[in-house]
Amino acid sequence: MRGLTGILAFRLAQAAGVALVVGVMSFLMIQAMPGDAAYRIAAARYGYDMVSSQAADAVRAELNLDAGALAQFGGWIADLLRFDLGRSVVSGEPVAHEIAHQLGATLHLSVVALLIALLIGPPLGVLAGLRAGGLLDRVLLVAAAGLRAMPQFLLGLVLIVALAVEAGLLPSAGHGRAAHVVLPALTLALGLAAGSARIARDLMAGIAASQHYAFARMKGLSDGQVLRHHGLRNIAAPLLTYLGLQFVFLAEGVVVVETIFGWPGIGHALIHAVFHRDVPMVQGTALVMGLGFVVLNALIDLAAGRIDPRGVTA
Amino acid sequence: MTLLKARDISVTDGRDRLVQPLSLTLRPGRALTILGESGSGKSLLAQAILGTLPKGLHASGELHVDDVALDPARPRGNRALWGRLIAVLPQEPWLALDPLMRAGRQVEETHRMVAGSADARAATARDLSELGLSGAGARWPWQLSGGMAQRLAFAAARAGGAPITVADEPTKGLDADRRDDVLALLQRGLRDGGGLLTITHDLDLARGLGGDIIVIRDGCAIEQGEAAKVLADPSHPYTRRLIEADPARWPPRKPSVPGAALLRARDLVVSRGGRALTGPQDIDLHRGEVMGIQGPSGCGKSSLGNALLGLLPVAGSVWRDPSLPKVAFQKLWQDPVAAFPRRLRLGQGIDDLVALHRLDASEVAPLMARLALRSELLDRLPAEVSGGELQRLALLRALLLKPAFLFADEPTSRLDPVTQAETFDLLTGIARERDMAMMIVSHDASLLRASCDRVLRLPDQPPAR
Repeated sequence: MRGLTGILAFRLAQAAGVALVVGVMSFLMIQAMPGDAAYRIAAARYGYDMVSSQAADAVRAELNLDAGALAQFGGWIADLLRFDLGRSVVSGEPVAHEIAHQLGATLHLSVVALLIALLIGPPLGVLAGLRAGGLLDRVLLVAAAGLRAMPQFLLGLVLIVALAVEAGLLPSAGHGRAAHVVLPALTLALGLAAGSARIARDLMAGIAASQHYAFARMKGLSDGQVLRHHGLRNIAAPLLTYLGLQFVFLAEGVVVVETIFGWPGIGHALIHAVFHRDVPMVQGTALVMGLGFVVLNALIDLAAGRIDPRGVTA
Repeated sequence: MTLLKARDISVTDGRDRLVQPLSLTLRPGRALTILGESGSGKSLLAQAILGTLPKGLHASGELHVDDVALDPARPRGNRALWGRLIAVLPQEPWLALDPLMRAGRQVEETHRMVAGSADARAATARDLSELGLSGAGARWPWQLSGGMAQRLAFAAARAGGAPITVADEPTKGLDADRRDDVLALLQRGLRDGGGLLTITHDLDLARGLGGDIIVIRDGCAIEQGEAAKVLADPSHPYTRRLIEADPARWPPRKPSVPGAALLRARDLVVSRGGRALTGPQDIDLHRGEVMGIQGPSGCGKSSLGNALLGLLPVAGSVWRDPSLPKVAFQKLWQDPVAAFPRRLRLGQGIDDLVALHRLDASEVAPLMARLALRSELLDRLPAEVSGGELQRLALLRALLLKPAFLFADEPTSRLDPVTQAETFDLLTGIARERDMAMMIVSHDASLLRASCDRVLRLPDQPPAR
């Protein structure tokens, strides 16, 4: 039986592949950046005013930066095999420690954003799909295309100007109070909702035009009954799979949105780590995001298989 | 007592009248069958009564169902009939069942939500066991055989307790065994004192149902009366043609004179998914010969032909005359609609074929004339020509390659009887003219008997798990 064990083995292999690719890519990209890493790290540690060639040399000696790229990468891999992500070259703290701290903030933001997106996107998409070609469908197409096409830094600024500066309803940036999460989450959610609304709309329109949907109506069920019993379940599995893919969009959005709104999460930390040439932090953060993507999609595959058992038992 | 009375039902598309005013009455325990070929308007009539006409079509007339007066011009009100007064059987039961709901639940929900049954589960169990489906309730629809899906859809449609059943082409594309299943199901509803309206082109089904028949052509009822009388002694010439088109009445075939050997198979075993579908077969085919392959669905008929064409790997040996090019072995597909790209003009496909194989473009016109195809069809899309025309276009496509062997896989199972008779007349005529060998696959024994030199019967197989 190529059931659960097979799926898990495949996902584990995939996770290992992702770890390797993410590690190599982030390492190479940092290496390819111009400038002297020792100066950048020294600036991050002691502040720009305090950087001198002396300080940089001290950093270079401490971190053994002259040992060469290959040795550094080999060290990272060796650590990783012991499940050790190393220490941040800026703060000196264990990378795992730092990430655990930031991941909480990012999860908070992501979950709120996802909830808002799920409340807006799929329901609107289902309504539009039930009346494909109707007014709502056409309006939604334009709105979704516009929202999806607008870059998040621009959408974030528009929301700050409209809701924080002009209307004064919400704080424009920061972290700590509950209200702080609304604007960044909304910025993320609108883009996510635009995508999932389109997918839900196409799925629903397809199901509503299917023969089994027509037959359910001919059996005498009301529109609501047909939708609940024969519509939603049929769109759930492919919609869920799409939501899994949307985590790429979410991860990318987190980096931008956290930076705009000063949200102390993993994306914010990633930008700083890149800027300061904090290679262990960059590798660790990218690794956690990549593995998170694999784990989430594995879970979603299992859930989709439960909803739609075709192909699992076949 | 009448269950349903429809008076002067007509259907227009705003400009033309597609169904001329037609009246019909359904009585308990008596079948009414509307007989006609595809495009005759028989389905539109049913849709007008059900209130399911496609957008842009309008019905008018008077409709009384179970003493409820309805206005066919305002189909919104007809929804109250569905499931409660009229049970509608689906054409393709597999597609009509929700793939993500277990079989029993699809019947149970009608019992609970439409009939308001207090113990829907018990009612479902009773339905399933009556139809020989006990134990199948926990399966998914895609785990059912075609016949089981048919019975399940029947139970699901009728669980609402509707006294009237409407079936639109319930036997389309079915083999003889499955057709008998459908007939038995429909008769079961009649025995319970229900009314039955069947729309079909299937004469055997109409004969089996008995009751009354209305023959419809071009939207007009051209003949009506008791089934036995209409089928035995038709008064209208078209009805006669329809009955003549029954393969059992075709003139017997003149045996062909076999020419040179063309194809030879020894110990041929066709398997699918690791399971042997056919026992070891020896097959010899000569130029000009027409051979039939008969058997129920799923027994490996199509796979056998594909194996001979070299489209499937096989155990055993297949020898095809090596002096002929590969394209001299051609296939005519079962469903012409699926055999043409939907958005490509038909003429474009023919032009591409001529260009690809460097054929003589001047051969197209005479061959089209021989196949009774008008040249303007080439400007259309596949959806814009009739099923018979499309299958003849598929034949044109195959014949342009000058095949020595044509494998015709259920070539007329989706066509109505008159068109089927015409198509077969053409096929066998052209095979004779061109000294072409043919292998025809069908589930219909009388059709093969009338059109083939010899028939190979494949045994039944248990359904694939």
